[in-house]
Amino acid sequence: MAIFEKVSGILTMIELELRRLRHDRTELYTRAVQPILWIVIYGQVMSSVRAIPTSGVPYTDFITPGIMVQTAAFASIFYGLTIVWERESGILKKLLTTPASRYSVVIGRSMASGVRAVFQALIVLPVAVVIGVRLVPNPAYFVLAFIVIFLASGGFAAISILVASFMKTRERFMGIGQAIIMPLFFASNALYPIQMMPPILREFSAVNPLSYVVDATRGLLITGDVSNLLLDLVAIAIFDVVMFVIASISFKRIIE
Amino acid sequence: MDFAVHVVDLVKVYDGRVRALDGVSLDVRPGETFALLGPNGAGKTTLIRILTTQLKPTAGEAYVFGLDVVREASKVRRLIGYVPQEMSVWTDISGYENLLIYAKIFGVPRLGREKAIEEVLEVMDLTRVKDELVKNYSGGMIRKLEIACAMLVRPKIMFLDEPTIGLDPAARKIVWERLTAFKEEYGATIFFTTHYMDEADLYADEIAIINKGKVVACGKSEELKHSLGGEIITLEVKEMPLKPDLVQELRRSGLVKEVFEGENLSVLVSDAEPALPNLMGFLKSRGVSVGRASITKPTLDDVFLKYVGTRLEERGRASEVTRVRDMIRRGERDGHL
Repeated sequence: MAIFEKVSGILTMIELELRRLRHDRTELYTRAVQPILWIVIYGQVMSSVRAIPTSGVPYTDFITPGIMVQTAAFASIFYGLTIVWERESGILKKLLTTPASRYSVVIGRSMASGVRAVFQALIVLPVAVVIGVRLVPNPAYFVLAFIVIFLASGGFAAISILVASFMKTRERFMGIGQAIIMPLFFASNALYPIQMMPPILREFSAVNPLSYVVDATRGLLITGDVSNLLLDLVAIAIFDVVMFVIASISFKRIIE
Repeated sequence: MDFAVHVVDLVKVYDGRVRALDGVSLDVRPGETFALLGPNGAGKTTLIRILTTQLKPTAGEAYVFGLDVVREASKVRRLIGYVPQEMSVWTDISGYENLLIYAKIFGVPRLGREKAIEEVLEVMDLTRVKDELVKNYSGGMIRKLEIACAMLVRPKIMFLDEPTIGLDPAARKIVWERLTAFKEEYGATIFFTTHYMDEADLYADEIAIINKGKVVACGKSEELKHSLGGEIITLEVKEMPLKPDLVQELRRSGLVKEVFEGENLSVLVSDAEPALPNLMGFLKSRGVSVGRASITKPTLDDVFLKYVGTRLEERGRASEVTRVRDMIRRGERDGHL
């Protein structure tokens, strides 16, 4: 019964997000501009230089999953802005007085952000296909790739909720959000193989959740090489659970 | 019998310094409408937030229908409906969707959910706009939607923090009529704070006045007014405010029981008719010119003035809260970057 309630609480939060998206998709489109520039301009330029060894995959193809994951992670990290707004208003106060447990509020909101992030990543894909990125023709892989993005985005949104419980203003939140996501992005395998990095960054990459997400989606969407998939999924699961727990614990302080 | 709210020696200290509640005790009987009055920063919102399980008290005990708000918080949450002072609905979905989401969060069974939503929409006169985005609602409509959210789950007790702030008098009246009808129909208890004296006077069965974290007076409106023991003489005086030593002298003179200073000079006397000429004589001999004089029974305002020392500033306060609420609403749009 308790489990059922938690699950239904999480689903309700996801439903809320879908209803929001249905009313207003502007943000989805404006956020799509940047990743499209990465793929179409940066990707094509670097592709012609052939400076980065991508084991036979065209460079644009190589970075497409990385850019998709980046844009999903960005959307999730900035999801905390919604939480900051909800704290400034009375919504969070009210949510905390309802029977919904704070775990289901945190996990529910995180997963809701995951749903938004999946749309955010999906919107980039047609552009990539138009400029010639070739996907693995396997629908199951395709679906799995987006499940991976969904789950990982939940973890990033939980980081964002955690940050939101410390940062009291939007401006500060924006700054911290950038400061978290940019290093994760550049110190990951999104734009270049890990082997190319200096040793110290290579070490960091091993604990960088973004690298595992990119590796999984790249395997599923582009190379078809899924030999690391299990490891990637385990890493993402650990990342999610840790972030959910920490965010839930700090969530109580958010309204005090 | 369990009290709907039972609070004993409640203390809340923020950051080890700010004493928001300083030993509050009060009881609310089930089915009662209970008003909490007090100036800004008196501790009203803190008390409501402890009772709705958002904050832990520093010391003391608080129970809602016999349940400890700290140790049995999750059980308490099933009994309460809560309208915070700040805006508490999502503005980028419709009014109907807000109610639907809250119904689901509370686990209102699918069967009868639609009917319950339609009902509260009807009660709060929102049926016509239920499918519009809340960001297009007026401030009053938003407040009504928030109250509808709290009614929807048919709580045993509703905690309303300034439920009618920013509403015009006609809308306030309607909201209270609907709340009263709801209370009668479901036997709910209502615990509210307000800046409108007339509201407490008209709708509350019991009133507590709280100041600096302490309950300074508690009782039925009539009892509180009676406790002043007398009548109020209000004099139009040009030289307001009076010199402090003149006020001191007036207090010591034995002519009056209490002096309230505001725009006009008000004094409390046990019997106004014989007191008035003496009072006029006193003021005249001190060179104070008096214009009109009026005699009234004490109002709740006077009660408040006696126990708190200042009048409750309704207008300034209400417009401030409305302004903050509007700011939050506007923030919504740049909130989604």
